[in-house]
Amino acid sequence: MTDPGFLTVAGAEKRFGASVVLGGVDLAVARGEFVSLLGPSGCGKTTLLRIVAGLVAPDRGRVVLDGRDITRTPPHRRDVGVVFQNYALFPHLTVAENVAFGLKAKGHRRADIPAAVARFLDLVQMASFAERRAQALSGGQQQRVAVARALAVQPKLLLLDEPFSALDRKLREAMQIDLKRLLRELGITALFVTHDQDEALTMSDRIAVMNRGAIEQLADPVTLYRRPATTFALTFVGLSSRLAGTVREEGDGLIRVETALGTVWAPGRFRPGSPVLLGVRPERIRIGGAGPNAIEAALVEVAFQGARAHLFFAGPDGARTLLAEAPEIPAGAAPGARMRLSWAVEDTLVFPAEPAAQQEAA
Amino acid sequence: MSAPASSSAAAGPVPARWPRLRRPDPVALLALPAFAYLAAAYGWPLLILLARSLSGPDGISLAPFATFLSDPFSWRVIGNTVRTALLVTLVCLVAGYPAAVALARARGAVQALLLLSVILPLSVGVVVKAYAWQIVLRRDGVVSQALVGLGIWDAPQRLLFTETGLVIGAANVFLPFMILPIYAVIRLIDPRLSEAAATLGASPLRRFLTVILPLTLPGIVSGIAFVFSLAVSMYVVPSLVIGDRYQTLATLTGRAFLFMRDEQLGSTTAVILLVIAVAVVVGSTALARRLGGGQS
Repeated sequence: MTDPGFLTVAGAEKRFGASVVLGGVDLAVARGEFVSLLGPSGCGKTTLLRIVAGLVAPDRGRVVLDGRDITRTPPHRRDVGVVFQNYALFPHLTVAENVAFGLKAKGHRRADIPAAVARFLDLVQMASFAERRAQALSGGQQQRVAVARALAVQPKLLLLDEPFSALDRKLREAMQIDLKRLLRELGITALFVTHDQDEALTMSDRIAVMNRGAIEQLADPVTLYRRPATTFALTFVGLSSRLAGTVREEGDGLIRVETALGTVWAPGRFRPGSPVLLGVRPERIRIGGAGPNAIEAALVEVAFQGARAHLFFAGPDGARTLLAEAPEIPAGAAPGARMRLSWAVEDTLVFPAEPAAQQEAA
Repeated sequence: MSAPASSSAAAGPVPARWPRLRRPDPVALLALPAFAYLAAAYGWPLLILLARSLSGPDGISLAPFATFLSDPFSWRVIGNTVRTALLVTLVCLVAGYPAAVALARARGAVQALLLLSVILPLSVGVVVKAYAWQIVLRRDGVVSQALVGLGIWDAPQRLLFTETGLVIGAANVFLPFMILPIYAVIRLIDPRLSEAAATLGASPLRRFLTVILPLTLPGIVSGIAFVFSLAVSMYVVPSLVIGDRYQTLATLTGRAFLFMRDEQLGSTTAVILLVIAVAVVVGSTALARRLGGGQS
């Protein structure tokens, strides 16, 4: 990340009527980087994307691309390409004409256009469909054409608004890999909007987790998964087991937390008496075993998933709040059985308890 | 009038192998009352009209047409008819297109109000409107006074009983028939298309010319077909706004039947009028089909 400010969004704010859609968002994307905006619907991720594209004007804040302030620049002078969720191919034009549209609009020499169109259709493996009408294509094919059309004008930045959401799962996974490779080969800087955490983890260099009009955490996928900064990041990305408790003792960067299921040690600094929420990733929990963090809980349900098994345990209030992942279904794993769960102290994530923390098992 | 694709969609799935053996769709029977009514009240009289226009003293002949078309006066009437219809259509298109865009872009109460202002005038009878235009187009009428007030005219002038007055009045009567089909098409255009064009570097003018206009073409053609076929056959408006000295095929047909009692002439002019109207409607539909080929 030599140039973290290729795209800089500073203090972007947007209200629609009384509701604040974006509350002062800052974001910096390096040249060639692939950054995802991940969040539930209504978190402001699409609004942020549209502000960068120039399709929505922010109430406050600035957008700077490659050293140029484009906050007030209309979309057709921005050099920002967009792949829309429904692809928005021009229905009255052929595939080739769709790809040529931007080249013509940008005033490329007429003689050079067919070669450029052929090159980009080739890149997305759609060359043989050049003369088809856009509407005669399947969803996956339309998406490829939309990518070719957006890339053909060689924008400085490519924005993708949930481009895979209309595709079925198998196709989606194949196309994610294809697109990621294509963008890396071309060195394209991309901002990608999605509500799908797997998609974000698969494709991104960094992920911005958004919630209620703010970025809660901006980190690479591994850090985001292993060290979520907020309970929202913990619950929205990946699965987790969660336990509420109260800090009883603090020292040497460790805290002792009293929970309804027993005492748990965790790395962190909290004043004794503080209410906290503990989280553990399910694959870090061992069935059986011993150590400082070992509790007993009643098994509620076993879900076999092929490569692994998910075991749901009753939390303190009887709800299904604890999830452990095991490579095999352990012996004696019948609903109702009490089992010992253990995990390492350093795998325990601690968050200050929020009054509105979501407690349901993800 | 309908967009090409919707007419093919209405045809439904066609079995590949035995189309002839297919039993009639029972739902199609629902169209029977309307079809029977049109056949009895419109088709049958039309056949009589056609037969009369082709009947000479010695059986079937095209002589009535030859006689009519050999008269320079007839050509002036045909010219009046086609020219006013074209002008009315043009005025409606130029005034109606932006109105349709505004209507499609408006939201909520504003849109309801605009839509009402387009549809409500349809409930006012043509006769009432034509009389109103008589008053408005007089030498001391609102239009004349406004144009003098704006300094466009030096002195008050009479627009009543002029071709300009006729076009203005008729355009007012037929404007909704241009606005509504265009509005219906614009409403269906995905707003993302214009945004996509913008992000590809197209200026607002280019977006209009290369995306919006081609996609609204089916609506434009529908509007043109509606307004032209209404304007070419209008009777009340020219009768009241321009009077007997200016004849169109429709007013001449009326005169032939009502005053001159010349059914031969009336039938002939009516058939010529019908041919012109059908030619324009069919021609514009074919044009739309070719230009707007791949749309849904």
